[in-house]
Amino acid sequence: MSKPRVAIFDFACCEGCQLQIVNLEEEIIDLVGAVDVVEWREASTDHSDEYDIAIIEGSITRPEDEQRVKQIRSRAKVLVALGACATTGGVNKLKNNFDLDDVKRAVYGKDAGKPHLGTAMTKAVDEVVKVDFHVHGCPIDRGEFTYVVRSLLMGKTPEIPEWPVCVECKSKGNICVWELGQVCLGPVTRAGCGARCPTTRFRCFGCRGYIDNPNVDAAREVIERYGLDINALKEKMILFASKQEPTIYG
Amino acid sequence: MTTKTISKKAFKEFVNAIIAAEKVIGVQAKGERFDFAELTSADDLRLDYDVTLQAPKKYFLPPCETLMTFEVGGGYQSHIADEPFVLLGVHPYDVVAIAQMDELFSQNNADVHYLKRRANATIVAVDVVTASKNVFASSMKTATTRTGFDILLTDIGNAYVMEIATEKGRKLAAQATATVASADDLAKRESIWKANEKGLNKHPLEVNPEYLGKLLDKAYDHPVWEEKAATCFSCGSCNLVCPTCYCFNVQDDVNWDLKTGQRGRAWDGCLLDGFAKVAGGHDFRKKRADRFRHRLYRKAKYVPAKIDGQIACVGCGRCVGACLPDIANPVSVYNRLVDDLGIG
Repeated sequence: MSKPRVAIFDFACCEGCQLQIVNLEEEIIDLVGAVDVVEWREASTDHSDEYDIAIIEGSITRPEDEQRVKQIRSRAKVLVALGACATTGGVNKLKNNFDLDDVKRAVYGKDAGKPHLGTAMTKAVDEVVKVDFHVHGCPIDRGEFTYVVRSLLMGKTPEIPEWPVCVECKSKGNICVWELGQVCLGPVTRAGCGARCPTTRFRCFGCRGYIDNPNVDAAREVIERYGLDINALKEKMILFASKQEPTIYG
Repeated sequence: MTTKTISKKAFKEFVNAIIAAEKVIGVQAKGERFDFAELTSADDLRLDYDVTLQAPKKYFLPPCETLMTFEVGGGYQSHIADEPFVLLGVHPYDVVAIAQMDELFSQNNADVHYLKRRANATIVAVDVVTASKNVFASSMKTATTRTGFDILLTDIGNAYVMEIATEKGRKLAAQATATVASADDLAKRESIWKANEKGLNKHPLEVNPEYLGKLLDKAYDHPVWEEKAATCFSCGSCNLVCPTCYCFNVQDDVNWDLKTGQRGRAWDGCLLDGFAKVAGGHDFRKKRADRFRHRLYRKAKYVPAKIDGQIACVGCGRCVGACLPDIANPVSVYNRLVDDLGIG
């Protein structure tokens, strides 16, 4: 059996998730040995329009990017969304809370009207095309990424956690950061990071996006129980969970 | 069985002597709380703790472990822990929980991974000195215990009464400079037991725990399940901190050669969305209320049916503290059912 051809593409993002792949160090030899990397702008000059697995990093923010990602989808057998920008829209979705013209003026000043600076509402990749597998996080967890690749090579469906970050905190014996007086998004955020932030006694930012069925009523209840204002929760949710469903912006 | 008294100074020397000889896990401060961790000096041991963040089950059933390594089309190699260790400072309610797990993991297909770790352990229990803010062990009759440990310590002020219950305990205690416990020391211990059997009760259960199974026979369609579960995060915290919850998930991963790999298991919890999801995507406890109810049936009905009626809630109160929306407290649910349904 020939090795599957893999192409890695980037859209609107900091490319930090690709960097995590580069940072696999010795393991990258195993990775590129197991697959045939035919396109990867960050690490290679090769280019190809023929591939089996497309890995998409970044969110979709312009009409021309929608066309590009649709074309990639039409060529790939399997499409993987890589990192928070691709899986949920990530921090790029902050933009969707404002008027687009204001956003452009804030970023580009007097050049805002120039034709090559067009922008649109930010979308996660699966708001544009079908995504087969999501590798969440800002940045991704390297171990989870390589597990997903190996699962694909085996023809297995990788198990991506559908449970929240609390599971990993409790498994590690962390003190709940709510007890430390912080508004933590762990109870509604998808696990898989190993509770990296709460383990350092810092609240979860929610970078892996919501779990499948987040209980927003429970979040309201807890905010009340801790004598906090609902805005304390909204402020925390805006960074990574802007315009995700369900929302409590209302 | 021998009962001795050891001064606190001699006890410290005893602990340091064990540390020098073998691996010792002891209760220590962890930030604002307490937890079990490897002990490197008797100075770090905190036998006056209220409750540990995690239950001692993690030393027998770790949060995640490799069960075996395998080769596709070839053989496999089981991973069995072989390091002896001393578990120092287990409260009686946790001792009871471990004893229940011992029975459960020995049934049917005996779990060698658990049982080997258990056989490697010497358990030094300690009677509770400081009641935690949510403990209700008195209600569950687990505030003190006469069995399940190798050694039991009771703090009587300037010394510990040290009950040596097993051969393992005797071997360990051979390193201690202790005298035979006086009648006065035993009387002090007796009064501490009496006090704890009443006083570790921040959430008093209105019925004798033996009635809980009968109570649940009438409660399957009670509105409390929906009411409480309305604000359940399905985060599984109540399961994961519980000393008697033992469910796990098993998952395989392969190495880059796609031939060799590992089979691991990790803690799971019946409150988690997808816990009851099976092949084909069918989920037989899809609703939060179904999962919420299952845990409380499990504690007072399903598990007791496997272990001679012992209630699988030992009243440690960890779930009460771990539940952010404050719905996990078993006592508040059981008492509500008692009030609504009666015990007759």
